[in-house]
Amino acid sequence: MSSYQTLRVTLAVAAKDLLVEQRTKTAFFSSLVFAILVLTILYFARDATAVSDLDLAPGALWVTFSFAGMLGLNRAFLLERENRAMDGLRLSPASATGIFLGKVLGNMVFVGVVELVSLPLFILFYDVPIWRQVGLLLLVIFLATTGFVAVGTLFSAIVVRTRYSEVMLPVLLLPFLFPPIVAAVQLTRRIVAERPFDELTGWLSMLAAFVIIFFFLSLLLFEAILEE
Amino acid sequence: MPQPDSTLTLHGVSRRFGYRWAVRDVSLEVAHGEAVLLVGGNGAGKTTLLRVVSGLLRASKGRVERQGAVGMVAHHIMMYEALTARENLRFFGRLHGRSDGTRIDALLDRMGLLHVGDERIGTFSRGMLQRLAIARALLPEPRVLLLDEPLTGLDDSASHTVIDVLAELKQSGAGMMIASHQLVELVGSADRVGYMVSGRMAALEPCGDAGQVVQRYRELAAGE
Amino acid sequence: MTRRERAIRSARRGSVITAVALLGLVGVYIRALVYTPVERLQGLAQKIFYVHAPVAWAALLAFAVTGLLSLLYLITRDRKFDMVASSSAEVGVVFSIAMLTTGPLWGKPVWGTWWTWDARLTSTLFIFLLFVGYMVLRSAFNDFEIRARFSAVLGVMALVLVPFIHITVYWFRTLHPEPVLLKPDRPSLPGVMLTTLLISVAVFTALYIGFLMQSHALMVLRDIREEETVDANA
Repeated sequence: MSSYQTLRVTLAVAAKDLLVEQRTKTAFFSSLVFAILVLTILYFARDATAVSDLDLAPGALWVTFSFAGMLGLNRAFLLERENRAMDGLRLSPASATGIFLGKVLGNMVFVGVVELVSLPLFILFYDVPIWRQVGLLLLVIFLATTGFVAVGTLFSAIVVRTRYSEVMLPVLLLPFLFPPIVAAVQLTRRIVAERPFDELTGWLSMLAAFVIIFFFLSLLLFEAILEE
Repeated sequence: MPQPDSTLTLHGVSRRFGYRWAVRDVSLEVAHGEAVLLVGGNGAGKTTLLRVVSGLLRASKGRVERQGAVGMVAHHIMMYEALTARENLRFFGRLHGRSDGTRIDALLDRMGLLHVGDERIGTFSRGMLQRLAIARALLPEPRVLLLDEPLTGLDDSASHTVIDVLAELKQSGAGMMIASHQLVELVGSADRVGYMVSGRMAALEPCGDAGQVVQRYRELAAGE
Repeated sequence: MTRRERAIRSARRGSVITAVALLGLVGVYIRALVYTPVERLQGLAQKIFYVHAPVAWAALLAFAVTGLLSLLYLITRDRKFDMVASSSAEVGVVFSIAMLTTGPLWGKPVWGTWWTWDARLTSTLFIFLLFVGYMVLRSAFNDFEIRARFSAVLGVMALVLVPFIHITVYWFRTLHPEPVLLKPDRPSLPGVMLTTLLISVAVFTALYIGFLMQSHALMVLRDIREEETVDANA
């Protein structure tokens, strides 16, 4: 299969997922409301005299993003399970690579929109002076989200075949979120404190290495999930 | 490589689920323009055989050779309820590289669904969904057509439409395998009958009328 | 020799190895308590080290075996590899629990705290969690082919993940990221203690192999029984 065909499948699958999401909107609004709730609860889940807003903010942001994202990921393959739509995909000449990339792209847009909508709320709620550094923060968000969506897409394709997919996904996925989330929190902390760029490079390269390695590993292993 | 005479060749195909063999050692050739009707009781392996032939399931043993695109109608409609009939066809068309609107409209029209083409299929009746599933199977201009109970939920006129479509496809050289209990309607479309008894193809013979097929199946099932 | 006979023979050998290893464990303890000097700073509490470190080694070994056999399974699709991988995970759960209980017992008197978030501790906690996730996932499938394939995917992913977790925690603790070796410096042990430790490592490796053989044989026997049941019904 040529890379042009793969690209066509990728775009078709992603566009289809987003169209379905736009029709129902259930997952999107649930994830968004969930994100706002987590941000709020975490704000109050500390001693305000001992932990400042700025100390709390980076952790709160990433706990919120990862939990809200996980809610959205379950949806990705539940959709294909209904009426066995996945069989329709598998009957077509679409490659596993195209399907995986399409699913990842659709999930990236979904999680990305949830993140972009909750980010201003986060800045507002935690009074984070981030405006000058927002480009760097967006880069970190992009990297961490890519890593977590790639692994999450693979695992949601696995757990959707079990009876308890909603419980199973966090159990399998959370260990894999540990490195990128810790790195993202460390980076966010330094970005918010306007530290010089060389204090970022270590964690940034670790995050990038994680994303690259796990993106391709998930892509390779996805084929083994798809066959029956 | 010379063009083979058959659209579909099965070499000793077997499939197991866990420890149980659902299909055992089925060999078969389907010629261009030929239709093979699969007859058998529940759990005889008809559905599994069709899924292996389609490529949805991997054969545990043996192999399948297919010439050209595969169209399939199965128990599940394999489409998205939140999308309209037209959107569903357009999506699957894109995967096959065939998403031109006129062809999709022609298929919807043929299946009597043109007037509901822009409605979400979540609201469709069983018969409408079945017709849409057939339209979806025809989308890639299949050279191999695999039909699992294609007439389920269809009324008389819809059944006739489907039988007419099958005749046209045979005319154009497509090979097909049809699994069904509705023998009276479908024997006319079939050239040969494959009798499935507990996962094996007990016999593969020219197709007679429905009564003869039932009679023969009873003999074979009793002999097992 | 039939498959059943081979499995039974392997189970017997496994139990012999286990019995020898358990005797060896008694030997290790006699040696540790009687012939190895008491550590000057840590006192008697340090004696648990002779179990804790080797048990951690066995858990890590089990984890690596599961991961590598998962990879081999995905390449060859030979069920043998899946069965050994899952037996190894089963044994690995036991060793991880032993590791996670002996660790705090040693840490409390020596460090003054039950738990600390150091790189090795955190990595081993994750190894335990990944083992449990692997077993939970396996229990969710009835078809052994799907079970093997899906759990192998997790096994391979987990194998690649653990070094990342180790580095993450190490950097988190040291705050300044710098090149890291998987084994940070450890005060070198005097010869006698080192010998005791190495003997114990050998003993726990044997224990792992003994458990693995028995667990695997049991799985093969279960498999044979289920296959016979289905054949009898066919």
